[in-house]
Amino acid sequence: MIEFRNLHKSFGDLKVLDGVDLVVHEGETLALLGPSGTGKSVLIKHAIGLLEPDEGDVLVDGISIAKASPKELRNVRRQLGYVFQNAALFDSLTVAENLRLAQEDETGQRDPGECRREAAELLRRVNLDESVLDKYPAELSGGMRKRVGVARAIASRPKYLLWDEPTTGLDPVNADNIDDLIMELNSTLNVTSIVVTHDLDTAFEVGDRIALLYEGKIRANAPPDEILKDTDPIVARFVRRSRLDAEVA
Amino acid sequence: MTVSSIPLVRAVPRALEHLGGATVMAGQILRVLPRPRLYMTSALQQAYVLGIQSLPLVLLMAFLGGAVTSQQTGAQFSGGLPLWVIGSVLAASMLTELGPLLTGIVLTARVGASIAAELATMKVTEQVDALIAMGRDPVAFLVVPRVVAGALVFPPLVMLADAMGMFAGWGIGLLAVDGLTTADIVYGARFYFRPWALWFSVIKGGVFGIAITFIACYVGLTGSGGAEGVGRTTTMAVVTTTIVLMIIDVLMIPVLKAF
Repeated sequence: MIEFRNLHKSFGDLKVLDGVDLVVHEGETLALLGPSGTGKSVLIKHAIGLLEPDEGDVLVDGISIAKASPKELRNVRRQLGYVFQNAALFDSLTVAENLRLAQEDETGQRDPGECRREAAELLRRVNLDESVLDKYPAELSGGMRKRVGVARAIASRPKYLLWDEPTTGLDPVNADNIDDLIMELNSTLNVTSIVVTHDLDTAFEVGDRIALLYEGKIRANAPPDEILKDTDPIVARFVRRSRLDAEVA
Repeated sequence: MTVSSIPLVRAVPRALEHLGGATVMAGQILRVLPRPRLYMTSALQQAYVLGIQSLPLVLLMAFLGGAVTSQQTGAQFSGGLPLWVIGSVLAASMLTELGPLLTGIVLTARVGASIAAELATMKVTEQVDALIAMGRDPVAFLVVPRVVAGALVFPPLVMLADAMGMFAGWGIGLLAVDGLTTADIVYGARFYFRPWALWFSVIKGGVFGIAITFIACYVGLTGSGGAEGVGRTTTMAVVTTTIVLMIIDVLMIPVLKAF
């Protein structure tokens, strides 16, 4: 279980998170919705300790990220797979080398042949061919890079997956494919996921529950069918506006 | 006008913040150093990239430095002092000053700028965050191999630069200074030479190597913003390193005099 407790975060004078309380239960997929720039990515970066809160805490399986020792934090991070918005692959390394970084610990003691076989299997899981292993990120399309980013995130067999805008920048077909991949991985790997998105289609497609982050606070938090019926004007406007945009597109 | 709007007032806390950040990073490096298995393979790869590929440029600069030194000395002292002084000045300046400093400045421009730009790009494209998210230590993975490579590869580069400068000074001096002979150069160089000068040159190379790679890594990892931020970070790394090299150069003079 991941718990965000009264999380506050500012950058200079800009207050981004203003007391966020949110719980993500085991086995569920939470879609975190919100307009661009409202701090959705900032929120999930706190879960993995990439950002430190000004106030409040995040608990992952009861371990406080703010108070964790470096060793505890390392162990928590091995439990969390993070899919970055732009994949964040290391451009100077091949796909195989990128995956290997996540497959082994810092001492690098695993058998290279075994790592390569496992890397090929990881690529198959994200519907990529083994031939991609020796390519550099610059030689891949945007959708393929995202998939390699997903393969890297699941390489350490995490219990939780954090998806940061997984469909941003992709065409509708590739975005649909990524939505399918999220659902497939959630069921086959039995992971708990937080999917940060401003794409309503993705949120309703993959989310067991949807939370709306608005002006630094969680404005709504309910299953998709209840969100659609929410009478809060801010929630209703966001859902309706996003749907209109989707229809126009 | 408020006090905080005075540039110097704003700069002091920022400088202290960087000093603190650099001290923390130095501590992190020292914690990783006793575990060479974590970084040695990568350090040797970096040594090739930083050192071997810089060799032609280092040798070219040393050649030009030596050539200028022998001609300038010849022009300044002809008629007033014996010509063998050119050999002494050449050996002294190449070993204790020009060899290490020219190499340091060339490597700041070539290696320091490249490290700062690479790490700043990794920072702004979330590659550093990705490392942290995978439970990896960015200092062990990115900084230590580069600093160790700098410490390993810069001293031999400085020695080669010293040798190239001396040979260039000798050869160009014979062509450009009337009456100068090989015997003058050899006599002057042997008259000056002390083994400590050679050690001093090597030690200076090592200190410069560590300073250049350390500052480039530290400044690179503080990069922010997009392409403009990477450019700003790279410039800052080169300027800061050049100033620090000159300060180290001044501070090391008593070490030379001590022996």
